[in-house]
Amino acid sequence: MIVETSHLNLYYGSFHALKDIDLSIKENLITGIIGPSGCGKSTLLRVFNRMNDLIRGVRITGAVLIDREDIHSPVCDLILLRKKVGMVFQRPNAFPLSIFDNIAYGPRIWSITDKKTLRDIVERSLAAVDLFDALKNRLKESALSLSAEKQQRLCIARLLAVEPEILLMDEPCSSLDPIATGKIEELMLVLKRKYTIIIVTHNMQQAARIADEVGFMLLGELIEFNSTKKIFTNPSDRRTFDYISGRFG
Amino acid sequence: MDRHFDEELQKVKKNLLEMASLVEESITKALEALKKKDLKMASEIKEIDHRIDRFEIAIEDQCIELIARHQPVGTDLRFLIGVIKMNNDMERMGDHAVNIAGSVAFLIEQPRIKPVSNIWSMASEVKEMLKDSVKSFMDNDAKKAQQVCARDNVVDEMRDETIRILLTYMLEQPDKIGSAIPLLLVAKNLERIADLTTNICEDVIYIAQARVIKHHAEEEKG
Ligand SMILES: Nc1ncnc2c1ncn2[C@@H]1O[C@H](COP(=O)(O)OP(=O)(O)OP(=O)(O)O)[C@@H](O)[C@H]1O
Ligand SMILES: [Mg+2]
Repeated sequence: MIVETSHLNLYYGSFHALKDIDLSIKENLITGIIGPSGCGKSTLLRVFNRMNDLIRGVRITGAVLIDREDIHSPVCDLILLRKKVGMVFQRPNAFPLSIFDNIAYGPRIWSITDKKTLRDIVERSLAAVDLFDALKNRLKESALSLSAEKQQRLCIARLLAVEPEILLMDEPCSSLDPIATGKIEELMLVLKRKYTIIIVTHNMQQAARIADEVGFMLLGELIEFNSTKKIFTNPSDRRTFDYISGRFG
Repeated sequence: MDRHFDEELQKVKKNLLEMASLVEESITKALEALKKKDLKMASEIKEIDHRIDRFEIAIEDQCIELIARHQPVGTDLRFLIGVIKMNNDMERMGDHAVNIAGSVAFLIEQPRIKPVSNIWSMASEVKEMLKDSVKSFMDNDAKKAQQVCARDNVVDEMRDETIRILLTYMLEQPDKIGSAIPLLLVAKNLERIADLTTNICEDVIYIAQARVIKHHAEEEKG
């Protein structure tokens, strides 16, 4: 288990957004989190790299272990945690910098300045998202000149540059068309060989296609967590079935 | 774009082809055991059949999972539906091989009778049909599949002739009834295998061309 929570509760002020969540996420799998809007998917994802710390009034109880380490313990190094657990957002958030500098951004924060090392990291990271051949002669161009799909790939490459273990993805394809979505999904299937991926998606077909295990959330509760096959052929909870069969949600 | 899903479909196809070769092996071996009156060889068919049964369950499971997870459309959907049906038909062919092998025990003490040669020609026609139907699936070749279907009549005629000859034999030489009845059953089982190979071919045509040819559906639509 690379990520484990037990009795995880999260409150936004008095609003109880995550309710007693027990979850175990395995290494080198794609775990999908599905559920209707407002059920707490993004909130849960943000717990894993403590992005909720940035929101005022948030209170968390229970335990969250990553690599068996309690991420809320005072000795947990937040910078290291965010390096280890990277996040890809709904809209590609490429920086208004060159393609090269986008990728080199993270490593530079980690004080890597050697030109050759940086070039190697940029090449490796772009190659990992299958962009290197397309972009190797355009590294000085602005990242914002790329298509949405390529920008999303670039954002993933930027994460890979700091050698994370876990990739959190919050609806990474929702601003992409079906073809671009298909390409990002194929990329995820390649990336899972090296990384653990947790993806939140509104699109349950996407979870069905690419996830190995799926969690279904409803009103802050984790209703069911099972293999994708089980969830989509014979879910244990009636509410899961109602949701995936389009009976509500 | 090569999709992960296409690889999954290829795996299904590979499994079905593996199962088909087990079915061929099982039928061939059952007939060989019959020819040699070899009880030991006949007893091996059961083991092959268990393996066929395991394939059937695994392939069906794979297809259901792919349908649930990928919501296939068009040719992908027809492929998976077709495979589910072929899977079922192949498993039944395996059962017919078990039946044929079961006849060996009844023949062992019996004298050899002449009509047995009809059985061998039927058997070789049926084996050819099976081989060609599997090949048509492998190559997604609707034309070849259509040709196999046309041969079903030949086998039906061979069966009718075999039954006629065997009946005459039994009437004329009641002491040969013990030899003739197991052969009647073998003829029946061979004919059923031929029917099932035409089912496979109908599915190949359905997958390749989205045409339903069984029960002369197209002629009726007119
Ligand atoms: N910063 C915040 N302050 C207060 N309430 C919040 C905050 N962020 C989210 N919430 C509430 O918490 C609940 C869960 O929100 P969250 O964004 O995690 O849902 P979600 O499942 O990701 O929804 P969607 O599918 O729409 O993205 C919602 O009711 C939401 O209104
Ligand atoms: Mg959200």
